Amino acid sequence: MIEVIDLHKRYRGRKVLNGVSFTAEKGQITCLIGINGAGKSTILKAIMGLTPVKSGLIRIDDAPVGPTMYEKVAFVPDHLTTPTGMKLSEGIQFMKDFYVNWNDARANELLKFFKLDRTERVGNLSKGTAAKYSLLLGLSQNTDYILMDEPFSGIDMFSREVIAEVFSTDLIEDRGVLLTTHEIDDMEHLIDQAVLLQNGSVQLAFDCEEMRTTEGKSVIDVMREVYTG
Amino acid sequence: MNRYLKLVNMEIHRFRYILFSLMGITLLLQCGSLIWTLQRVVSAKEKGLTQAEVGFAIPKFLSFPWAIVNTKEWFILPILLSITVLVLYSIIIWYRDWFGRSTFIYRLLMLPSARWVLYVSKLTAILTFVFSMIAFQLVLLVGENMLFKTIVPAGMRTDSTFVEASTINPVLNTLLPKQFEQFIYSYGLGIIGVIVIFTAVLLERSYRRLGILYAIGYVVVCAAAILLPAILPALESSSSYWYPGEIYRIELAICLIVPVISCCLGFWLLRKKITV
Repeated sequence: MIEVIDLHKRYRGRKVLNGVSFTAEKGQITCLIGINGAGKSTILKAIMGLTPVKSGLIRIDDAPVGPTMYEKVAFVPDHLTTPTGMKLSEGIQFMKDFYVNWNDARANELLKFFKLDRTERVGNLSKGTAAKYSLLLGLSQNTDYILMDEPFSGIDMFSREVIAEVFSTDLIEDRGVLLTTHEIDDMEHLIDQAVLLQNGSVQLAFDCEEMRTTEGKSVIDVMREVYTG
Repeated sequence: MNRYLKLVNMEIHRFRYILFSLMGITLLLQCGSLIWTLQRVVSAKEKGLTQAEVGFAIPKFLSFPWAIVNTKEWFILPILLSITVLVLYSIIIWYRDWFGRSTFIYRLLMLPSARWVLYVSKLTAILTFVFSMIAFQLVLLVGENMLFKTIVPAGMRTDSTFVEASTINPVLNTLLPKQFEQFIYSYGLGIIGVIVIFTAVLLERSYRRLGILYAIGYVVVCAAAILLPAILPALESSSSYWYPGEIYRIELAICLIVPVISCCLGFWLLRKKITV
């Protein structure tokens, strides 16, 4: 389980995170929802140790954040993290060289699934293809958890469909997924837990299925209540 | 260890074209100017022309050190260019991972190894580039000596040692010191400089706008600390308080403390404060 406990962070005098607490379970898709600037990406970066926080605690399966965590948690940012001069195959080789948990067979499967050309240079990829490649790099690690920052942002309809397809496969099912989005439409039917953020703090966290059955509300209905009500 | 070597290999791989270009420019400029200078003088000597007729000095016998002295600018230019590029790259080696379409720093900071390995691998890469250029210059000098012997007929030249040739040019003399002690001082100071630059870059990357001030302050403090013992005797009145041996030991201690503190600070920033 990923536990985020009372996270505080300031940036240029503004409270970016103001006591954020939530959990993301293994085997579930947890979605951080919020408008731009709500602190969604900052939370993911803080979990991955990519930005310092003023106070608070982050634990992955009861262990604090450290170098070994990177074999347990994969992060798919909303942009490329492989040098643009590298070919896709070289980027994959880099991951294979550094991560013990790298699953080369799965990487090859995903190359075919996403119809990616391994000889292509990373710098030549379109935004949609770059998103697929980033997803490939994240999913080809045998990690317990995967963090995704805006996996559908700025991507064409067909690429969205292909990426969404991945969420209903066993590549995702057994893991704990924590993702961010401000476009919930594509994700609503996929997510198990929703965490609604506003001004750097959690406004509401709920189980989507429970909300649907007990109160008859969709995630969008709840969002409307929280953000506009 | 394995990941460290892989990172070093990757950093060298990323810089390879620039490194080879610098070597190519050095080869072209030094050999080109040497050939041009020697052919001009040999031709003048063969024709029996005087200094007044050709407008440049014609020695009785040509030597390799003489050739180096007379192609001075063209010898120094590629060396200075290489030094400038390598100093700039000591900064760019970090920033290139933050900027551009791909932010590779995300991946580097998420590698399942201690982050200080990243710092040390980048430092190793810079030192590898420096010593590769030095080794290349040494090999080039041997080649240029052979070139000299090929162009200048035996009757027109006088033998000289390799050391004479490298001593006569001040830049070559600094880059290739004759005493091992001098080599340690020169390159030790260079390594300290790179470490201080690395830590200054990490200060800026960690604290951003405020970090620029921290970085500038840090570089100034480090430079002052290293220079202070050297200029101390000049600052004091005629009755110097410190013996030269004591100043030497203070300087040595500072030159050990500055890189150790810089490395520790750099490692801590990477572990605790760095932000992407």
